[in-house]
Amino acid sequence: MLARHTFPFILFTVTVFPLVSLAESPRAIDQKEASRLFETFCVDCHHRGSDSAVDIESLLTSMDVREDLNHWTKIEQRLYDQTMPPAESDPLSSDDRKQLVQWVKGTIHDVICEDGISPSRPTLRRLNRSEYANTVRDLLGIHVNAAHALPHDGAGGEGFDNAAETLFISPIHAEKYLDAAREALSHALLDPDGRQRLLINVPDNNHTATQAAEKILVGFLPKAFRRPVSENEISDYLTLFEQASREEQRFEPAIRMTLEAAMTSPKFLFHLEEPTTSEEPIRISSYELANRLSYFLWNSMPDTELFQLAKEDQLQEDEKLVEQVRRMLHSPIDKGGLRRGAKVREFATNFIEQWLGTRALGREFQPADPFSALYDSELEGGMKYEPIFFFEHLLSENESVLELIDSDFTYLNNRLARHYGVRGVFREQPKHTALAEGIHRGGLLGMSAVLAVSSLPHRTSPVLRGKWILETLLGTPPPPPPQNNPEQEKTRGPIYAENLRKRLEEHRDDPNCSSCHDALDPLGFSLENYDVLGSWRDTDNGVAVDARGSLPDGTLFSGPEGLKEILMLRKDQFVRHLTSKMLGFALGRGLTPEDRCVVDEIAIAVAKDDYRIQTMVIEIVKSVPFRYKVGRSENSAPQ
Amino acid sequence: MRPKQNHSIRSDVNTRTSIDRRTVLRGSGAALALPWLEAMRPFSHAAGEELTEASPKHPIRMAALFVPNGVRQDCWTPAEVGRNFELTPSLQPLQKVKDKLTVLTNLWNQASNVGDGHYVKTSGFLTCTTINKSLGIDLNCNGKSMDQVAADQSRNLTPIPSLELGIDPVTTGVDTNVGYTRVYGSHIAWAGPTRPLARELNPRLVFERLFRATHPSKASSTRDKWLLDRVLGDAKQLQQQLGTSDRQRIDEYLQSVRSIEQRLQGQKTGLRSWEPREKLTMDQAPPMDQPDDFPQHVQLMLDMIALAFQTDSTRVCTFMFGNAVSGRNFSFLDGVSGGHHDTSHHQNDENKLAAYQKINLWHVSQYAYLLEKLSAMKEGDQSVLDNSMILYGSGLRDGDSHNPRNLPILLGGGGGGRIHSGQHLRSESDTPLANLYAGLLHAFGCGIDRFADSTEMLPGLLSAS
Repeated sequence: MLARHTFPFILFTVTVFPLVSLAESPRAIDQKEASRLFETFCVDCHHRGSDSAVDIESLLTSMDVREDLNHWTKIEQRLYDQTMPPAESDPLSSDDRKQLVQWVKGTIHDVICEDGISPSRPTLRRLNRSEYANTVRDLLGIHVNAAHALPHDGAGGEGFDNAAETLFISPIHAEKYLDAAREALSHALLDPDGRQRLLINVPDNNHTATQAAEKILVGFLPKAFRRPVSENEISDYLTLFEQASREEQRFEPAIRMTLEAAMTSPKFLFHLEEPTTSEEPIRISSYELANRLSYFLWNSMPDTELFQLAKEDQLQEDEKLVEQVRRMLHSPIDKGGLRRGAKVREFATNFIEQWLGTRALGREFQPADPFSALYDSELEGGMKYEPIFFFEHLLSENESVLELIDSDFTYLNNRLARHYGVRGVFREQPKHTALAEGIHRGGLLGMSAVLAVSSLPHRTSPVLRGKWILETLLGTPPPPPPQNNPEQEKTRGPIYAENLRKRLEEHRDDPNCSSCHDALDPLGFSLENYDVLGSWRDTDNGVAVDARGSLPDGTLFSGPEGLKEILMLRKDQFVRHLTSKMLGFALGRGLTPEDRCVVDEIAIAVAKDDYRIQTMVIEIVKSVPFRYKVGRSENSAPQ
Repeated sequence: MRPKQNHSIRSDVNTRTSIDRRTVLRGSGAALALPWLEAMRPFSHAAGEELTEASPKHPIRMAALFVPNGVRQDCWTPAEVGRNFELTPSLQPLQKVKDKLTVLTNLWNQASNVGDGHYVKTSGFLTCTTINKSLGIDLNCNGKSMDQVAADQSRNLTPIPSLELGIDPVTTGVDTNVGYTRVYGSHIAWAGPTRPLARELNPRLVFERLFRATHPSKASSTRDKWLLDRVLGDAKQLQQQLGTSDRQRIDEYLQSVRSIEQRLQGQKTGLRSWEPREKLTMDQAPPMDQPDDFPQHVQLMLDMIALAFQTDSTRVCTFMFGNAVSGRNFSFLDGVSGGHHDTSHHQNDENKLAAYQKINLWHVSQYAYLLEKLSAMKEGDQSVLDNSMILYGSGLRDGDSHNPRNLPILLGGGGGGRIHSGQHLRSESDTPLANLYAGLLHAFGCGIDRFADSTEMLPGLLSAS
């Protein structure tokens, strides 16, 4: 049983922004009317004792939304994505559907947010692979990937590899970290600049070896542990130095071994926040805030400025915090108009690749014939970088997150521009490119990386693309196919361009399949003009592409342009989902149902500010889960 | 001797320039040859205890090779039972080692007959338990994999307790469609309910790890011990700071550090439980870079398994040809165009079935490569294969239907004479896979006859003796 701990709302009225009431988006119907609609349209199948997994009749009788949260969330999703009620039942009008969704959403929100917003448990997890590489880079000033030999990390929670719950420690880890530390330090000491940065003092006429070592450690340890260190901690390491020094008789090997120890210490390798000693939730410390901020927006340790602000407790002031966020998101453009390696690129890369699933390119996704002939490392690079640079642009320029749905620009390099048939002068590095009318690009769904990872290796799949849209953009993943039915379109015999639409239509004749596929397939079909690698095509194997679709509610649309209009109608769901992904990434953990409350608040604030992306980041950074940790009584509760 | 070259755990040489590191590693190999020879004294247990092995003569080794996405059923199972069976089309590559082969039919993993798709059937392959449906927070395999039960037995007898190897990095992301983190699909070895074991993917790094572990150096081990003591000291300080429920990860790290310390301790005495006939030398090192070429990558990994077993660097190993749902492109095989997973959903299409079988055949030929290699490694009048148990299998039978019944399972090797090899052993339908594992663990010398949901040790598996 997962204990849920919430923070009483009242405590926040002064220190934190109060909850925005959902009164602003009033529920047009009351419970009585909602019950009537459920009884008319749903209970025929979802009644007590039915085979259905969801028994709406009983849910309505008990009306215990907290207890039945998972069911109510599913009901909301299925109503929203129009997979329920299925086509063969009485049609639910658009208005009724909208009102019912709003009623469920509002009811869930009220119940969850009754007790206010929950803070997080103090962070306790190791650095993941990319955080390790970036931290060592910034700590030692070296430019090699120090993490190259570390084991890869899996993902948890919201789908990111920084989730505390899946950052395991294997027996092999300590050995790997020791190796990596030795390699990194030896690299730094071979480089004259790196050497000077590390060995700020050496024994001479005025300094004994111990004095020199102490000077070095006083500088190094707080940076490595990313917080102030105690005198005891300095002396712990000085003792080690003296031991080594007696054996070695030489300064450098001894201090080097001492630094190796510091970089193998859990104090370096873990994000560690102090356990709360008070009963009540408290703000995280200034240093903890600097670290959360830095690993969120840079995927690395804080820089000198952040450490200084933490030291002066200035980060806790909202104004300073916002100023720092804007500084950290800034990515300068050089004279040639190119964005060059700002630290925010690390955020863009890690967030975008894992949210969209485009990290799979060249790994889990490898195109087959005939597409594999086109797919070289140059194209793969261009495909991978397009959404990353695009997102970096949004962050740095504070653009609207709705640009992700549709935009009049993108980022192309030489190879990708050719792939898209865009003329102009391009290099290896992607650059900002305005998109002409009729080019069929703009927004994530025009990007070949997205179109590829939502395809099969040898052909496109409207089902997979439809699923990708519902899951990745809207956060309403369809349920898995019924048991013993593989996740693909399942009709006997192979599917070719000639029979694709017919096969999927046959498939939808089966009522077990139609409820989901009626909603999935049309979304995917509208992208059929893009092939596996996202090239535009008017015909597929000589058959003219038919990119029309109709949704269960009767909406007719066609092609990517039509799809984008549909998505714009669902923009608030998109923003809410993006917020939850970004919050999960920022917190380094999976979200709990209670976090939905703060997600709703942030999404509303973002919408109010013209959907600006920096507002999303700032609201996350200012939010209760990001800035507070739970009190002692809650923290010590078993997970 | 220059002390710098004596680090028993070393990587203080920049890896960017491959020539540098290779040269230095070669150098250290040469420099270390002497102390190694000195250490070749009559064996006794590293910790000074009596050996607990059943047979001190030749140790028994155990490996498990996992293949994703099942097999084409009609080309797999031999028609005849017992010693006189014909190899089916998919098993043809095993001709040369047929008398060391056991084909196992009608085993199933009941605990994995739940959930959706592949995850349950991958993480549960060696645990025979039902994993929790989780995106991460409640991740739990609810057991321990059988290789780790074996590793517990041999942990103090070899420099490295077990090797976990693979080809693909952990699959990215979580599968919100079915509600599992893909971590599950990327691990078969579990040290405990919440401890999937990270795998090494680079053959060169596997070798370097084996090399360091088997080449002790007294001079550096003192310094390493001080360093590790400091790290352990820090971990203990943190443990005191944290509440009991938060300590788990720090505890795990502490254990991880201790295992290096224990190895140093073992190296200090310079003694091993059994002296292998072949020593690990730098001549056996694989190329510096991890090959991009998949078949070459697989063979190098299999070479590392053989080498580790031959040199008794470890006695337990797991290897994943691919992660669950692997979409590996097999177009390097004639007549195969799609990815592995997509091809396995053959929908009874003839072309796809043919391609699927070719992929199966390729995997079996890799398995044959390993068995033949081990067979060529002599141990007295026997071979390493005679003293090994090399399991090969998938967590589902037919990739199209995800059927967990009658799993495709092979066993290679004689297990030191304890395995009744050279037969097609057909059990009753729905015999627990865990019965096989119970038998293997018994043969390994674990002193147990049950594992997970086993009901008995698989009849007919072990030699009558």
